[in-house]
Amino acid sequence: MTVNYATAAIDKTSVMRGLVSTQRVPLGSEVYNRLLETLYDEAAALDERRFDDWVAYLAQDLVYTAPLRLTRNGPNKDRDVVRTMKHFDENYASILMRTGRLSKSAWAEDPPSRTRRFVTNVRVAQCDTAGEYEVVSYLYVERSRFDNPENESITAERRDVWRLVDGVYKLAVREIIVDQSTLGMSNFAIFL
Amino acid sequence: MLHKAGLTLGDGTTLDDLINRDMNEVSLRVMNDKELYELEMERIFARTWLLLGHESEIPKAGDYVMRDMAEDNVIVSRARDGEVHVMLNVCPHRGMKVCTAEAGNAAAHRCIYHGWAFRSDGSFIGAPIEKEQMHGNKHSKDELGLKKARVHLYGGLIFATWSKDLSFEDYLGDAKFYLDQLFCRTDNGLEMLGPPQRFVLPCNWKIPGEQSGSDGFHTLTLHRSLMEGGIMGGTAESIYDTAPGMYGVDISVPQGHTLRCLEAAQTFKMFADISFEGKTTEERLNLLTPPGVTKEMIPQLFRNLTEDQVNQLATIPPQVGGMFPNILIAFIFAPRMDGGASGALSLHTYVPKGPDKVEFVNFIFAEKDAPEDVKRDMLQNAIWSTGTSGTIEQDDADTWPQIMRNARGHMSKSVTLKYQALHGHERPEGWVGGGDLYPGFTKDDTQWAWWMAYYDLMADA
Repeated sequence: MTVNYATAAIDKTSVMRGLVSTQRVPLGSEVYNRLLETLYDEAAALDERRFDDWVAYLAQDLVYTAPLRLTRNGPNKDRDVVRTMKHFDENYASILMRTGRLSKSAWAEDPPSRTRRFVTNVRVAQCDTAGEYEVVSYLYVERSRFDNPENESITAERRDVWRLVDGVYKLAVREIIVDQSTLGMSNFAIFL
Repeated sequence: MLHKAGLTLGDGTTLDDLINRDMNEVSLRVMNDKELYELEMERIFARTWLLLGHESEIPKAGDYVMRDMAEDNVIVSRARDGEVHVMLNVCPHRGMKVCTAEAGNAAAHRCIYHGWAFRSDGSFIGAPIEKEQMHGNKHSKDELGLKKARVHLYGGLIFATWSKDLSFEDYLGDAKFYLDQLFCRTDNGLEMLGPPQRFVLPCNWKIPGEQSGSDGFHTLTLHRSLMEGGIMGGTAESIYDTAPGMYGVDISVPQGHTLRCLEAAQTFKMFADISFEGKTTEERLNLLTPPGVTKEMIPQLFRNLTEDQVNQLATIPPQVGGMFPNILIAFIFAPRMDGGASGALSLHTYVPKGPDKVEFVNFIFAEKDAPEDVKRDMLQNAIWSTGTSGTIEQDDADTWPQIMRNARGHMSKSVTLKYQALHGHERPEGWVGGGDLYPGFTKDDTQWAWWMAYYDLMADA
């Protein structure tokens, strides 16, 4: 059977946002703390433009996407995550292409943005596969470009799957659900 | 002596001061001027044809999308009769948006303020409490519909205009021969793969606008990472020696549409080391299928295009360009490392949102008849190269706003933009299509043609 890419949802079709699993990992538990620490470390690697360090967090089977948001009304008013179209549609190889470009001759991000990623509202649950965890977080990014005194900013929910591999957590899935249907940020030359 | 234009700004500056046709220079001031912007809204955006979307977005009766014709918000909808209609999303009662969603399906649009209701063709149904006749008695119901724009579908692309008399044929002109090769080449045409990416840049619409007039030269420097990635051939170190992708035939028409045609043999050489020499049109197409077209679809090209058009598509296809005033065309070859379907089909509109703001709208397509896995790859290729996160257009988005900031400086704004590297029209031997042709290294001719189209409309009070 061919999958209709235009209508296929990423997983459980009714879930637009938030956690899917009900097997919550409580705040303050060892797993929760380690994952929170990983999110903070990951944000620091990106803010400090240590791309090699960031790529080390990524699983080789990574699926990294950012669907569009669409303003809708009536019976569809909460079905506003459009997964047919995306701002990012990445795998491990394409992320390497992007970080490689930004490390060498891209004019975007040269000079670089100064970014500050704030990660909050972290919720964790166990996936069906042992050693994999759903991690939902809120992301708020402030981005300073050139000598412009006005920052660009973006808010999003990130729905991740982190996998424990040899004692470290690797990012296997990330879906970035931005809040704006028309982005106020002038490009996504930064990672979210 | 050139004819003087009928446009003078408040401080006495004329259009001829801003656009020097003897010297091929344009004052930087045009890139951030409120007065000029207001005139552009009237003389360009209210007069010419504008791209709003594709009919594959609204297949069923009642389907609609919300779009913008410059700063005028419109509903693009398919009515019960199957026709596509475009109308102002402004309630004639109290000015509220009649439709508040960006897309959906509705048999009727009922304003949430006082309940005036309109059919999907824009006609007025009535106001609540019919017996009280809340639409008054000065206008008949026939007069109270939403203001309609004229609509034309071209290759399924939805164009609309407020002009009463400009025919779409006259708008396209000789560009049609070339654009057919991109938009009208397959039996079932193009399909938009989802709603457009939209993002706002702090820059005047003409900065991306004039670049879409086939500025090939910037690619070599601003997008040097393309060479480094091997996508255009060559390496980062040898960019200026080999100048990959710079040689071809550029085209402009007086309407301001432009295209860059690049030799398929050169493009093909980047992917594989097989010669194009002595091959028939069909063999060439099989060696290098146009972006998004599969080998199985090649017979469709012969059915939908003339022999001359297919021959060009197989030999020196149009790949990038623009349609005046604010459309960029990128129907590009984009090889994938993993052997997946190559190529990306994107159209952008640069929608003015004030003298210092533009909305970048990125429409991404595939051929409707392409298999699902090809569509998937085409979507990914377009996202990787163009739009929000596209590795090509990231560079542009960081450049354009800085040009506009410069246009604010009292001294800076009188600096002129130079379009003086001109080749001049020259018809290559055996060339079939019309328009002004500039073979060889890509120069400023097409962008100057863009400015001349701008001049013509702005001069016409």
